[in-house]
Amino acid sequence: MNRTTKLVVILLLVVAAVCSLYIFRASTQTSAQQLQIYQHGTLIQTIDLAHVQEAYTIELKGENGAYNTISIESGRVCISHASCPDQVCVHQGWISDSTLPIVCLPNEVILEITGGGADLDTIAG
Amino acid sequence: MTPLRGNSTQKLTRLSLLSTIALTIFMIEAQIPVPIPIPGVKLGLANIVTVYGMFALSPVDTLLILLVRIFLGSVFSGQMMIFFYSLGGGLCCWLSLCLCKRLFTIKELWLCSPLSAIFHNIGQLLVAALFLKSWSVFAYLPYLLLSGILTGLFTGICTQFLLQRLSHVQNKRK
Amino acid sequence: MKPVFILPVLTMGLLTGCVTTQTPSASSQIFAMDTVMSLEVYGDGAQAALDNAVSTIYHLEDLWDVTEEDSEVSAINQSQGQPVPISPETATLLDQSKGLSQLTDGALDLTAYFAVSAWGFTTGDYRVPSQSELDALKTQIDYTQLSLNLEEQTATLPDGMRLDFGSVAKGDLGAILSEQLQNQGITSALLYLGGNVQTIGSKPDGSLWRVGIQDPSDPEQAALGVVEVSQKAVVTSGSYQRYFEENGETYWHILDPETAAPARSGLTSVTVIGENGTICDGLSTALFVMGLEDGISFWKQHPELDLDIIWVEESGNVTITSGLETTFQLTEAQSDREVTVIAP
Repeated sequence: MNRTTKLVVILLLVVAAVCSLYIFRASTQTSAQQLQIYQHGTLIQTIDLAHVQEAYTIELKGENGAYNTISIESGRVCISHASCPDQVCVHQGWISDSTLPIVCLPNEVILEITGGGADLDTIAG
Repeated sequence: MTPLRGNSTQKLTRLSLLSTIALTIFMIEAQIPVPIPIPGVKLGLANIVTVYGMFALSPVDTLLILLVRIFLGSVFSGQMMIFFYSLGGGLCCWLSLCLCKRLFTIKELWLCSPLSAIFHNIGQLLVAALFLKSWSVFAYLPYLLLSGILTGLFTGICTQFLLQRLSHVQNKRK
Repeated sequence: MKPVFILPVLTMGLLTGCVTTQTPSASSQIFAMDTVMSLEVYGDGAQAALDNAVSTIYHLEDLWDVTEEDSEVSAINQSQGQPVPISPETATLLDQSKGLSQLTDGALDLTAYFAVSAWGFTTGDYRVPSQSELDALKTQIDYTQLSLNLEEQTATLPDGMRLDFGSVAKGDLGAILSEQLQNQGITSALLYLGGNVQTIGSKPDGSLWRVGIQDPSDPEQAALGVVEVSQKAVVTSGSYQRYFEENGETYWHILDPETAAPARSGLTSVTVIGENGTICDGLSTALFVMGLEDGISFWKQHPELDLDIIWVEESGNVTITSGLETTFQLTEAQSDREVTVIAP
């Protein structure tokens, strides 16, 4: 093998190694579920659901005494109490993937999970 | 291995035959499902003909075969987008092979294939980035580079064998 | 071998570490038209295009909100038979809706607002009207009474009838936004407009958008199936979307214009997939009212519309049109359902 050949072989090996490392890192990262909490259309908090150690709740206050109590556990989330009249968000129960976000229309709150198991872009209905 | 000599009929026949082979390989490969859901990842068997042509024929002849294959391949597959992606990839691949021909002898031909596969992928991504007006498609580059190196080595070795066998045939004819 | 040759390859390989896949260039979640909307726009100029889209949504909401006193639809409703000047957007929407009403022989009818509010679907104070009340209400539903003058941009509706854009507004919004975004050079975007989905182009990587179809029997959790689309609107009308129960009976918001009562056609949802959001939205309602058999023959009679349709029956059976054979898939949890494919 001459010098050029050696250089190219080494180059290919380096590229292959860098790529493998990148792919490995990318594939181990995508399993994380990110919970995004929106209120009145703005993202107010992002929580890494996969790394929640202990269950806890967040009290989300709105105008005129409106509130939503968000229960967060490892890998899933729900609205446990809410001031809204229809209680649709409470009845939806736990969600753990991106299939359908929890939406509280009266209080303008959205809980959305990205990067979970379901590989849907959105849902019609 | 010497560049193709002889009358133009012989040359025409040789070029059409190689174009047909390239197209056939391309069309058959398109039917093989790829287990990895990343656009652009494939075996790239048609590259065998391109690399072979580069070393057994001339760069210009190879370009002709390549263009015929890309045009007919996208016409037969019925998707015009494939034409632009293939063209971008094919031209990058061809340019890199022209360079390879200067750098390497026929013994290192197995190395040219992964290199050209990489440049084919880069060319495709450039076209994609141009169409989508976004560089985010380059996030696929590591996947394509890795698959290009692996499949390129495979097709490179195939080409090496092919050249050995074909030169045998050619010598006999002479 | 020159090092110049190595550098670009190496840097390209390393640079990609900083690029993340599939993050929208601009996105927004807004509340409008009594629902939630989520817009994801990709590519150059995404933020400006998104801002324009959001202001278009609020603008059209102002025009089409039937509960708002000074909206255009209210102006028509209070006109007492006099011509009312309307904006080009409203004129186009009314014109298209009338066309769809004619096409479906009245299965879609925008003049059902009195009936819709009698059932309480506008306010949430649900009640079941008596038969005599319904008999009176159904005479007040007749799209042919609405007249449009497209040259002078006016609409005329007789007194005693009321319009409501609910069955087409979100679909038309999708069509308008799609055109507007594309005019601004956007080639990839995903619009979720309160259950209606409008896709522009494909995903930035060139692959198709994966749109879930809600399961009418368990709308809050798993999807029934997935359809892969590009440059299409996906619109579902389902009895699960708005309903109430009284004395063990379920009443939903999709009314049959002939009876002024919830359309009981044996279907729980109809999804229409096509290029134009207005057509998809209007027809998903009309096809729900028609039922499966009439819907299938409607689809066969109108190949020019180039639509694909998913019908879900109360029995759980799914019927799809031939164009979806390769692009529609049941989700794993639903794979035991029976799927019938209809050929043209």
